[in-house]
Amino acid sequence: MKLSRLTPRQLLEIDACTRCGECLRYCPVYIEREEEAINPRGKIRAIKRFIRSQFGIWAKLFGPKKLSEDQLKKFSEMVYRCTLCGECGMVCPVSIRSKDLWIGLREVLVELGYYPKEFDTLKKNVLTEHNISGLDNEGRIEWLEAMGDLPEHRYQKEKAEVIYFVGCVASYFPMVHKIPQGMVNIMRRAQVDFALLGGAEWCCGFPLIGAGMRKEAEEMMAHNLEEVRKKGAHTAIFTCPSCFHTWKEEYHSEINLFHFTQFLLNLIQEGKISFKEEKLKVTYHDPCDLGRASGIYDPPRAILRAMPGVELVEMKDHGPYCRCCGGGGNLEMIDPELSAALAREKIKQIQETGAEMVVTSCQQCIRTIMTTARRMKIPIKALNLTELVLKHMK
Amino acid sequence: MDKHTLFYAMFIPSMILFLLGMGFRISLYLQGTVKGAEQATSWQKLWVLLRRGWRGFWKRPIWYLQITITDVLFHRKLYGQSFYRWLAHSFIVFGFVATFIVDMIKGLTTGYLVEWSHCLPFLSFAHAFETGAIRPFLDFFLEFFSFLILVGCVMALIRRFIFRPPQLKTEEEDITSLCFILFLELSGFFIEGYRIAHPEVVTKRVYMANFTPPSANNWLSFGGYSISLFLKGVTINPDFLWYFHVVPSLLFFIYIPHSKLLHIFTSSATVIGDRTREKEKQPY
Repeated sequence: MKLSRLTPRQLLEIDACTRCGECLRYCPVYIEREEEAINPRGKIRAIKRFIRSQFGIWAKLFGPKKLSEDQLKKFSEMVYRCTLCGECGMVCPVSIRSKDLWIGLREVLVELGYYPKEFDTLKKNVLTEHNISGLDNEGRIEWLEAMGDLPEHRYQKEKAEVIYFVGCVASYFPMVHKIPQGMVNIMRRAQVDFALLGGAEWCCGFPLIGAGMRKEAEEMMAHNLEEVRKKGAHTAIFTCPSCFHTWKEEYHSEINLFHFTQFLLNLIQEGKISFKEEKLKVTYHDPCDLGRASGIYDPPRAILRAMPGVELVEMKDHGPYCRCCGGGGNLEMIDPELSAALAREKIKQIQETGAEMVVTSCQQCIRTIMTTARRMKIPIKALNLTELVLKHMK
Repeated sequence: MDKHTLFYAMFIPSMILFLLGMGFRISLYLQGTVKGAEQATSWQKLWVLLRRGWRGFWKRPIWYLQITITDVLFHRKLYGQSFYRWLAHSFIVFGFVATFIVDMIKGLTTGYLVEWSHCLPFLSFAHAFETGAIRPFLDFFLEFFSFLILVGCVMALIRRFIFRPPQLKTEEEDITSLCFILFLELSGFFIEGYRIAHPEVVTKRVYMANFTPPSANNWLSFGGYSISLFLKGVTINPDFLWYFHVVPSLLFFIYIPHSKLLHIFTSSATVIGDRTREKEKQPY
């Protein structure tokens, strides 16, 4: 076991945790499973034990203990059963950046070879086909086919001021194709000069980073950045909060990055988008990577407030405390039942508001919520903000 | 061997063990990878981090000072989460910091400056700390801040063993740390009470801390004074009492780097690091 996968700060954080348990009340996975080892405190205690057995004073004097395979397997199971929602870090009294720490621990586990084997498929798909689904990457813009009135360039122009980075989920999952379609329609109507990367768009790298395979993600990042630069764009916009967050935190580029909620709000403020009145009661779900990770809570709410007739009712847990829908951290791949259980809790909160629909700004949240709702035959409506904006646009 | 020499004979090795413990922890942290210095040795990494910290600090020193006060010393985040926890923790932290400061002032002035003032007359102001106007304040505040630690410790024990919030899990380390603090405080008050009840102990200079002459206002040391009322007829070997308080105090010091108490340093670093990151983050 090497500690080089972690940063000095993360190693210090492991010691800074007082195991006070403040995070337990907020960890959606722990609330569901009630297993001590699965909560943030349990994970920190376990890694502390491993570190002590390998690098502690006794280990220095008498040699490190051999790590037990069972313990490592169990630890891996716990570390990967996490949505990386980051709520634990947000409430931590000593400000441990737990989301980064969990990803760091995943990197340690990948190095040791203790990670869910489903991630090998993910890695293969991303590295060979450059998307998470393993389908031909040229098919990234098949969702365009369903749109009428396409210009000849099909938005894959040589040069453009703005690049719309669609992301894998919205490109390959028909359930959420309406999101990029909606976004393209809005930009078209607002006369934004934009382009798509099409087959040149690769996975942003987030699924690999989240799986603990950061090194493998570097190739994706370098490629995407190069492609955006080739188009001469000064701005990139994202409908996927995870792509947006990854670009913001990992790409270190000169490109102006906007989540679509910020971008649309600007268009509204510039008068390029206006709305017709329609009575509607909605609630808003803050995606983890947009809210807690990126600190964007107001723009989507400001857009909803700008729509005449739309009434926003907040869920019990909203804003920084918004409960994860269960769709993050690749959890769905390794424990779909747990992911669905978290979605059920989310649906309960949505229903408690009495809203006609839940609006969100993430394709993965829509997928997770709607898949569970359909499976459980719960009559609930989830809409991405792009769809709602398009529907209400004059 | 007099108490002064004896104390330093124990204190210096304890200090060395404490520093070795801290050094051991830091060497562990330096096994991590520093961004931008991936191939560096541990010493190089330490240098890089210290340099970054130093430069960062001088970019906005006032802000760092402010954060240290509000977020590290006064635990702003904890205040927003639980007033009870915040109060208990603040009593302990503030009590320790303030006791340390007052104790240092008292020790420096009455233990050294007064002696030196015989050769260096400009140090004669130190007499005010020994027998003059400042002495009652020193006595009172030393007692008061120690009392705060005791109250904080009792509050923490009540929360842990009586209120028992569901998320709380008591580990051996928690019990050890709390017992240590509780013992040090109680033994401190007891020893103070014994000193007040038996002025001959001071005259014979049994306690190092009481090279200072007896105070005319012993009642200001309210905790020790209250205990002294019960100790007038009790005789205990004062040397034993001295060891009874000093040895565990030094052991406590050595224990810090190997226990949860290490969070005194580590969590201060994580909080400052986190606020810096928030501050330096590009606006979204």
